[in-house]
Amino acid sequence: MSNVPKGQISIEELENVHITIGKIVGAIEEKYEKTEAGGMTPKPGVSALRDWDHSLLSRYQPVYTPMCDQCCYCTFGKCDLTGNKEGACGINMEGHQAREFLLRVITGAAAHSGHGRHILHYLTDKYGKDHPIDVGPSNLLAPNIQTVTGIEPKTLGDLEPAIEYVEEQLTQLLATVHMGQEGAAIDFESKALHGGMLDHVGMEISDLAQISCLGMPKSDPEAPLAEIGMGCIDATKPMLLAIGHNVAGVANIIDYMEEKGIADQVELGGLCCTAIDMTRYQMDQGGVPHAKVVGTLAKELKMIRSGIPDVIVVDEQCVRADVLQEASRLSIPVITTNDKIMYGLPNRSNDNVDDIIEDLTSGKEKGALVLDLDLLGELAPRLTLEMSPIRKEKGIKALPNEEELKVLIDKCVQCNACELVCPNNLPIMKAMEIGADGDFTKFEFVHDQCAGCGRCDQACPKEIPVLDVIEKASQKAIMEEKGHIRSGRGQISDPDIRAEGVNLVMGTTPGIIALVGCSNYPDGTKDLYKMADEMLRRNYIVLTSGCSAMDLGMYKDENGETLYEKYPSKFLGGNLINVGSCVSNSHITGTAIKVAAIFAQRNITGNFEETADYIMNRIGAVGVAWGAYSQKAASIGTGCNRYGIPVVVGPHGSKYRRALIGKPYVEEDWKVFDARNGEEMPISASPEFLLTTVETVEELMPMLAKNCIRPSDNNMGRMIKLTHYMELSQKYLGHMPEDWYKFVRSETDLPLAKREELLKILEKDQGWEIDWKRKKILSGPTTKLDVTAQPTNLKRLCKGEC
Amino acid sequence: MVDTTKNTLVYTTWGPKSAKPVNPITISKLVSKAKRPLLVAGSELMKDEVMLEKAVAIASKGIPVAATGHSIKGFLDKGVEAKYNNIHSLAHFLGDKNWTGLDGKGGYDLILFFGHKKYYLNQVLSGFKNFTDLKTIAIERHFMQNASFSFGNLKPDLHVEALDELIENL
Repeated sequence: MSNVPKGQISIEELENVHITIGKIVGAIEEKYEKTEAGGMTPKPGVSALRDWDHSLLSRYQPVYTPMCDQCCYCTFGKCDLTGNKEGACGINMEGHQAREFLLRVITGAAAHSGHGRHILHYLTDKYGKDHPIDVGPSNLLAPNIQTVTGIEPKTLGDLEPAIEYVEEQLTQLLATVHMGQEGAAIDFESKALHGGMLDHVGMEISDLAQISCLGMPKSDPEAPLAEIGMGCIDATKPMLLAIGHNVAGVANIIDYMEEKGIADQVELGGLCCTAIDMTRYQMDQGGVPHAKVVGTLAKELKMIRSGIPDVIVVDEQCVRADVLQEASRLSIPVITTNDKIMYGLPNRSNDNVDDIIEDLTSGKEKGALVLDLDLLGELAPRLTLEMSPIRKEKGIKALPNEEELKVLIDKCVQCNACELVCPNNLPIMKAMEIGADGDFTKFEFVHDQCAGCGRCDQACPKEIPVLDVIEKASQKAIMEEKGHIRSGRGQISDPDIRAEGVNLVMGTTPGIIALVGCSNYPDGTKDLYKMADEMLRRNYIVLTSGCSAMDLGMYKDENGETLYEKYPSKFLGGNLINVGSCVSNSHITGTAIKVAAIFAQRNITGNFEETADYIMNRIGAVGVAWGAYSQKAASIGTGCNRYGIPVVVGPHGSKYRRALIGKPYVEEDWKVFDARNGEEMPISASPEFLLTTVETVEELMPMLAKNCIRPSDNNMGRMIKLTHYMELSQKYLGHMPEDWYKFVRSETDLPLAKREELLKILEKDQGWEIDWKRKKILSGPTTKLDVTAQPTNLKRLCKGEC
Repeated sequence: MVDTTKNTLVYTTWGPKSAKPVNPITISKLVSKAKRPLLVAGSELMKDEVMLEKAVAIASKGIPVAATGHSIKGFLDKGVEAKYNNIHSLAHFLGDKNWTGLDGKGGYDLILFFGHKKYYLNQVLSGFKNFTDLKTIAIERHFMQNASFSFGNLKPDLHVEALDELIENL
């Protein structure tokens, strides 16, 4: 193909005619090969980083917990793989579980990247491919894209080859899931890690595009606060509810309402990440967000069943499959706006707005598929204004009234079926029992813990609408559900990294805790608040995004402040930073990459392995997806894992089927090279896992502190981290952790106030030799304190190896 | 004698192999015959003082305790020796024939589970079922289909009775 670069050509004979060259096959690839060949693996293929993956997987072994003992993939089967048996195609349980995990990861990655493709095309059409990427005061605009692909995008058009690369690789990964073929679990795992890495590229493309075009905050620590909670919705106004993850269509709705001066007449609320991005829209200059956030997926069915919305607009991803059925029961028209969700509705994309409104207000149609987002901008608000009085006039009744509630509760025969099918086995039967006497406290407890799935409704032999009963009985508590969330600020900027990078690498800022993911919590939403508050008070940087960012804003302290009001949001210890929606999770790995690039001046371009090696050994960061349920959470976490960032999921996360856990008692596994001389150097077992589940927040908090420990910690950093680990263990587990001494390299690692006491314990219990005159450890530690050491897992980076 | 085998209703299945529902007396015999039994006690115990007392009573019969989640606090508060472990890590270690156990004296041949969330424990047990030879017993209020042996689904009062009978016969 031609070597002509993209640009414009003028043809002399044709005055004022320019031909724009969008892309010539071969030209772009050549450009990057010539100018940006930084690292060894630009645009790595499926096997390019296999050695890195295998090295990770030898320390952190896959631990499989199957969700099903059978394989139902092909017509050979179904096959019973119980006991790690082989199926008809030759795959065993281990391999099948690894394949299943891979499938989750690439599903999640495809969801984000599909979103990226859609919004990139949409915004490129609207703003042009030369529209600059503007995400704040940074030169390193796209850390994930640059590290993985070698591309340094400056414009929307530059994102195109990056998304093409992701799509091509996801297709290759999906191909490996076909029956037979791969038989080794470890190579399915390597592919899963590849898929996770791709996910962060796809997410970054999505968020860079929307931040640049939709006026979203750009690394702004003062991004405005938005209202959040079911209780903050003004039910007296016509209400338009948006659900999903792709804000493109809702942005048009906001524009139309502003233009027509009807914004104050319509209550615009959102669920899930569309809600977060609605509060980011046009907030780069500050102001009051255009919408309110109702909450997470857990509130989806509850909000619909409340009957408050007059119109529902859905886009993609975490949207219930039964929105249309549920909404139709309450005469709420549903507009679907994206290929991913169409609910069997007629395509009205080319129809007249008035005709569509007529069909929906008359009840002739239950909803409409509208793929023209300009049409949507006008349709949704107008329809909302028209539907509201119609629904009021019809007397649409959603939840039962108080008399009906009593009748329903009295119908309960205490059979326990609801509790058995409840994903959290919540004490619904008990709530019914005491609710019969008018005491609704147990219902309020259940409401808080309930993920709003509605399985209880289907299980009840007496056909009690159990979820409606829970919600009606909890109305008082629901009305109090009001909080604030800081609009997502997007990336951590280059200047932020310059200021804080050294503290992270030395450990004097004890770590980054990233609270991400969905709302399938084991014990209600408040656990997340407790965890964040504790770690913020201890000077950790808490990054958050998506549903976790929402739930953190739902509680207030004794001064009436949410965490977003209580803690500042700069990139400093003790700060709480909402980076944004689901796709903004790329900024969390992006932050770690930026530390490598900006603070440590590492060449990240097309240089995944060396970048990950730096992050793994030096940056104390732990991801927490406490309520993870989606495939996207699996891919986000797995992407972090390939960078060496450990991730904890709540107990429901065990259903992802596999964890990656190390064995601290196998000494051989805990060694790295010292790049100065290539010698092996023992390290403490931290992080001790790449992906694991944890039972309770009380268990989680000391685990977070421990797993922020890194080989590069200086003595001050290690002392701070160790202090938090010991204090949190004593506070939440009631004991001194048994392994604390394994993280001590010298007496200077010990907390100053307890140094003498701890030295005595080391001497007595561990037999370490102490010079009591100088209060110095003479022998005992298995790891050494050497701040000049250069820990690496890559032998080739050692002196004399290149 | 409490019959704990009647109700084994499950919401979903894992596959063809399911736990054998057993009575307390059978469990006590299995535990007594084991060379190295281990009680893996979970954080749900911290929500119910009665259940914590039962776990303490089982531990007092000389069965070592791996306390998962934050249940260690409950045991230590009652002066019972227990070792903290994350349950997912513990499951990984238990499947490793080279692991020397909580006391450095070797692995275990029978694991008793008590005080766990149903869905979580079933996942952990699924790992044991498919990748180890270990005998696992669940003495929870719900039928744990992925254990080797389990109580069936029990009403709360019957569960207490069953635990008392088990403790008495240990």
